[in-house]
Amino acid sequence: MCHRHPIHCIIPPHMLDEITKSGTDSQREKAEETMAISNRIRIQRTSRDLTARMAAIPVTAQKQRNVYDAKNGSQLPGTLVRTEGDPPSSDVAVNEAYDGSGVTYDLFKDIYGRNSIDNKGMPLDSTVHYLQGYDNAFWNGKQMVYGDGDEDLPPAQRLFNRFTAALDVIGHELTHGVTQFEANLVYSQQPGALNESMSDVFGSLVKQRLRGQLTNEADWIVGEGLFTSNVNGVGIRSMKAPGTAYNDPVLGKDPQPAHMRDYVNTIQDNGGVHINSGIPNHAFYLASMEMGGFAWEKMGMVWYKTLTDKLSRNSNFQDAANYTFATAGELFGQNSLEQMAVRKGWEDVGITVGAPPQEGCFNAALRAVGLR
Amino acid sequence: MMKIEFERSGGFMGRTVSLSLDLDDLPADQAQALRLLIDNADFFNLPADSPNSPARDAFSYTVAVTDGARQHTVHTDDVSAPESLRPLLMDLSVRARGRR
Repeated sequence: MCHRHPIHCIIPPHMLDEITKSGTDSQREKAEETMAISNRIRIQRTSRDLTARMAAIPVTAQKQRNVYDAKNGSQLPGTLVRTEGDPPSSDVAVNEAYDGSGVTYDLFKDIYGRNSIDNKGMPLDSTVHYLQGYDNAFWNGKQMVYGDGDEDLPPAQRLFNRFTAALDVIGHELTHGVTQFEANLVYSQQPGALNESMSDVFGSLVKQRLRGQLTNEADWIVGEGLFTSNVNGVGIRSMKAPGTAYNDPVLGKDPQPAHMRDYVNTIQDNGGVHINSGIPNHAFYLASMEMGGFAWEKMGMVWYKTLTDKLSRNSNFQDAANYTFATAGELFGQNSLEQMAVRKGWEDVGITVGAPPQEGCFNAALRAVGLR
Repeated sequence: MMKIEFERSGGFMGRTVSLSLDLDDLPADQAQALRLLIDNADFFNLPADSPNSPARDAFSYTVAVTDGARQHTVHTDDVSAPESLRPLLMDLSVRARGRR
């Protein structure tokens, strides 16, 4: 427990109760949050036990895809236009959302044994044509949502294509759902950048698997095909060389760091969650290259198990390094090539596996309730 | 006189765009249209924050409006934004889009 939630092992529930009664406003708030987390863990533990017991019962996992059309409005999910088993639509964005969520589901099911976003067969809902001139895609807590880029501008001024055009964007959004049901990493600072990185990792693996690419054949570009030819760039991010995906007079330069020494401190973008994700992204790339083969098989499994069994809300990069290293040891053996590859991946982005946490359990606990 | 400070950050790309508008500097019809969007949003009575948004990769928005002695700032995102505010967010996003 100490590793998951430092506070949980130090402050007994009755003390938290006391703080909620007599503490200052901010102490009370933090104590309440801590109790909520503890309750959530208890529930998770129970549900994991259940899952383990039910594992013996054969489950016929089937994907259930629904694609909706927002018709350029903001109402979600919008009008249902294609559901599981329907023939292709005449609308390319509808088919991309349908096919992309399908191959993403397949990666999680075939390789990692996961039954959809919640591991209980949750329908894969996507909405296309969200708003007008909406150059983005997102996960809203329940479903995936895609804009058409800046289709409202004259072609010569357009920078973005429709966001379903890139398969790894679809994999990225769906993975946000998986993370929500697992580690549920807080969307801020390092936990947020880890959350982002998990989405880039599995988004990229969906694409690599569909293309049948070995680690050294993949381009490791995230969001290839999103930019129009007016933009000087190959995609939104590069896991192979963070910071080099684009350099454009209008969009500026790809701001991603590849190493801890270049970590970006900012309040924008929830503390740079799409910026500092370059560091764990690059660690995954390096570890995968070290191993060779198909990245979704070994390193993908290590990262998946770490996301589902080890990480928690406030995990940082150091935690991710330590837990992926431990997971590789559990899956492939202590001092296995796989485990050494994980260590090297993190080492080369400036994170030493096994380094002591930045603060002790007791201090973290005190800080969490605002007593320090 | 009315001033608007706008910032859009986050999104899949994590790119920040911002915009500063003094309505006195705009053509009268545009200034009028923006005033109407602010009125329709009931902007000065909107909550300042939308905490605990489940959104991932949504755009985050900060809109600060100064109208004489009144000043109010709203932080929100694509998922949590009040319906009444959406037309203003759209308008400002399109204006800010090509900028850095």
